[in-house]
Amino acid sequence: MRLKLSILLAKLAGSLSKNVLRKSGETIPGRVLLALYPKAISELSKSRKIICVSGTNGKTSTTKALVTIISKLGTVTTSPSGSNLDRGVATALMQKSEYAVLEVDELHLSRVITEAKPVAVLLLNLTRDQLHRMHEVKRVADRWAVSAKGAPETLFIGDADDPFVELALASAAQSHRVSFGGRKHLDGAVCPSCGIYLKWNRNDYKCACGLTNLNADALFDSGSAAYRNATLANVTGQLLGGKVIAIDEQSLERSVNREYNGVKANLRLTKNPASWTEALTSVTGNDVVLIVNSREVDGIDTSWLWDISFAVLSGKNIVVCGERGLDIAYRLHVEGIEVEVTNNFESAISKFAKGSHVHVLAAYTAFHELVRA
Amino acid sequence: MSQIRIVRIHNELLGTYGDQGNAEVLAFRAKFHGITTTIIDVGYNDPLPTNGDIYLLGGAEDAAQLLSLEALQRDDNLNILHFAIERGAVILAVCAGFQIIGNKFWANGQEVDGLGLLDVISVPGDKRLVGDIKTISTVLGFELTGFENHMGRTILGSGAEAFGKVVTGNGNGDSKFDGAVLGNIFGTYMHGPILARNPEFADLLLTRATGRKYAQITDPLALKYASWRRKVIK
Repeated sequence: MRLKLSILLAKLAGSLSKNVLRKSGETIPGRVLLALYPKAISELSKSRKIICVSGTNGKTSTTKALVTIISKLGTVTTSPSGSNLDRGVATALMQKSEYAVLEVDELHLSRVITEAKPVAVLLLNLTRDQLHRMHEVKRVADRWAVSAKGAPETLFIGDADDPFVELALASAAQSHRVSFGGRKHLDGAVCPSCGIYLKWNRNDYKCACGLTNLNADALFDSGSAAYRNATLANVTGQLLGGKVIAIDEQSLERSVNREYNGVKANLRLTKNPASWTEALTSVTGNDVVLIVNSREVDGIDTSWLWDISFAVLSGKNIVVCGERGLDIAYRLHVEGIEVEVTNNFESAISKFAKGSHVHVLAAYTAFHELVRA
Repeated sequence: MSQIRIVRIHNELLGTYGDQGNAEVLAFRAKFHGITTTIIDVGYNDPLPTNGDIYLLGGAEDAAQLLSLEALQRDDNLNILHFAIERGAVILAVCAGFQIIGNKFWANGQEVDGLGLLDVISVPGDKRLVGDIKTISTVLGFELTGFENHMGRTILGSGAEAFGKVVTGNGNGDSKFDGAVLGNIFGTYMHGPILARNPEFADLLLTRATGRKYAQITDPLALKYASWRRKVIK
């Protein structure tokens, strides 16, 4: 079938799904397009400059920031928010543009690099996440490295302080290695390149095989994950000819403010040990709601809750809910922190008095439901 | 004995799947029994302590598993484990750790000799086994729940018994049995961490480590959590 006709049918399917089935209609067009025209991604990428953003945490918000920067250079299409599998990529490419800034799932990145031949790939970080699906951090890193090696025309930009990102950067013909002065990594005990015990000197690593975060192409101050992602977006933009912009860090935290019957809530996305640990540092108030789910995108196993120290929550008023609220309640109990367990978010937030400011740390699916509501 | 030492072996390497929580649950349950605990984290370059009461190993990726094995075969470490077993210390080894204490296993595409503490061998399967698991423990006589995520197929030799009969999931790969046990040495594929999901198992390990029988603990949340998981995993 011809590409143009396939796109037409895919758009029709999307609009049916949206208007008749009342679904978001964001991934259906891409799904239909790839079914009708399997080579759509490579065909539609030819006429424009593709930029991919991948990593465990911060993909969606960093992609948005990069879209803002690139849109000053020309017309841009981008993936529907959070839709980062091949179908989301295909949906984004159905629209004509000079640039496409695509958020790409860690495991789908290889296919997108092969087919879309991006001018640039921004790699943010790689930490343990959804291990039921990713299986092993190293497995994902190896795929990235193979893809980087096989794409000599593509510029790979990334945070070299993360040894798994650095493995890909070191494998690429063209790379721009950014460092924020070094940072410990939860899975950094083993060199992802050669497999020996990775030698760390405080926050910097330097392996006998050569893998290191030192001697980066650009060195910045250390800071929060949001700050790092904002910086990486700007670095990528600059390398492509864009101008540095001021990026609101709260927008990069996946954090949203909402009000529920006079209770002010700051909702923040938390989905794995790295993002929880980052989010916990932002809990300044005393009132907290924690939501843990275990659907596919949340990770169907909750063992990773034991990777996180919740000590900073000690002494606060904490209510938990979600499908796996009991898992986090027991994890906190063992850490000496008692919580109240409720059946759902409505009853959790109703435990707080009008006018109070509540920090809501929410699992991926819970966060999206609350933001959409 | 009112003081016990919990040795968490190579958590930096064997900590990928949350099993480090087993040490915390042991220390927490011990408090109810009036036992004080010390958790000793042993790094890759550290010698194993000779006076541990409970030694813990967790799940890991292949390269980390091989490094842990190499460190445990280094210097006097294996002798320390043999002496510990002789004096009645407990070993709980999960997933990659379970494979390490067996006779042979595969990692990064090659077969290696394990520590030989449990009479099992592990080989890679053709498909990864991922999901909730429920067993009936041969030692405890009741249901245990957890989460498995591994490629290994483990075959028991004549010197080891299965730790649990599989109700749901795969366990050692045959969907019949999970893990292995010999005296105070326990091996299993169950994450969760297993002692968080099954606090009675933590109590059994404390009893075995101290040689004392303790009164039953009243911890409603622990009970609620454990029984809920047993109910929802069909």
